[in-house]
Amino acid sequence: TAPPPEKKRWLRAYLELQRLQAPPQRRSEKPNWDYHAEIQAFSHRVQENFSLELLKTAFVNPCYIESEEARRRQLGLAKDAVALQLQDNAGLAGRGLRFARAYLAQCFEGAYPELPAKGIEALVNFLTSQELVSYVAQNLSIQDLALCRDFPAPPDVLQRTFLAVIGALLESSGPERTGIFVRDFFIPQLIGKDLFEIWEVVNPMGLLLEELTKRNISAPEPRITRQLGVSTVLPVYFVGLYCDKKILAEGPGETLLAAEEEAARVALRKLYGYTENRRPWDYSKPKQGLAAEKAISSN
Amino acid sequence: RYVRQLQRLQLLFSPTAADARGARQFVEEAAQDFARQHPDVVLYVSPQSGPGPAPVLRAEYLNGTVRDELIASKTSEEIVQLATKLANQSGLDIIRIRKPFHTDNPSVQGQWHPLTNKPSVLTVQGPRLQPQ
Repeated sequence: TAPPPEKKRWLRAYLELQRLQAPPQRRSEKPNWDYHAEIQAFSHRVQENFSLELLKTAFVNPCYIESEEARRRQLGLAKDAVALQLQDNAGLAGRGLRFARAYLAQCFEGAYPELPAKGIEALVNFLTSQELVSYVAQNLSIQDLALCRDFPAPPDVLQRTFLAVIGALLESSGPERTGIFVRDFFIPQLIGKDLFEIWEVVNPMGLLLEELTKRNISAPEPRITRQLGVSTVLPVYFVGLYCDKKILAEGPGETLLAAEEEAARVALRKLYGYTENRRPWDYSKPKQGLAAEKAISSN
Repeated sequence: RYVRQLQRLQLLFSPTAADARGARQFVEEAAQDFARQHPDVVLYVSPQSGPGPAPVLRAEYLNGTVRDELIASKTSEEIVQLATKLANQSGLDIIRIRKPFHTDNPSVQGQWHPLTNKPSVLTVQGPRLQPQ
């Protein structure tokens, strides 16, 4: 028999160009895709038991339902066939967001008891922000499973889908397991981050004065501890803050004002217990029957 | 927690070609066991009838990398080993690692700078006390 006819040599370059210039497609439109199997694999991948209907509702976005109904209307289907039988994930997303925020706030209150409410709110806002949640969702392949109108899915859609997944887990497995899930996927995003990168503080000296008055310590006195290159273009000043002649914190800076502000920030970090050499987060299994965990299920 | 980085494995082979014999044996004998042992990997088996390209095992990872491995003229056990190797990998590019160590906390007591261990401007040197 003759050898199989190959593509003509002069055609290969054109086909390769077509392949490279083709617009990016969703994974669900490429060959080899089984939605049910993918969802089961997703639940095994995160090692959680989901109820599959809740999980499938969690992936359906409102923009998808609208675009599908518009498409069906355009194709001229009957009125009752136009309405899809799907529910969207807005309710689940709201519940997931509330639970995640409450749980993370509780975690931080337990771990950093000195941190004020504004700091905890800044941390929780950072962890539930669009970029972080969409980054975590992308690396868990949620962008393949989520049903939405445009491709690639915009970050707010991914954030809503991931929070809906958390909501679905809350409904299926209860608050304890969902708390462990939130802890395992959100708290490692804080590794390597400094407190004041996340929490914008305009006047660290004022904040420090408030904190010290709360603890009945006298106002800090800034003194220059070390200085290098005063008369050059790049001076370095180390300003130390002394309370009752005992050192509180020391911080470097280019000018005296910058050094004093940095020293105030270092002092705040020490007071709140968010230094670089603090104990790492505790990821061990929580003990059974913690009353505080039950308290957050009041959603 | 551990999240397996392999998303799905696609086994593209031809049911008549001679070099896809190992692939066909793998599908008959070992594919089900492999799928049962790795429930978080979706295994797609797609025989393409007619003369086609070489049989290939395509692995897709969570960070988007797609890796093709040729399985032409390999036995079923070799394909099982290859599949487990792909399942335990992450999707990072396979390039030379510059250093075999990495740490998130490079310094425990604070990194040295030219002013550590130098006395500060404020320390006052008193007169030397006479021995009593």
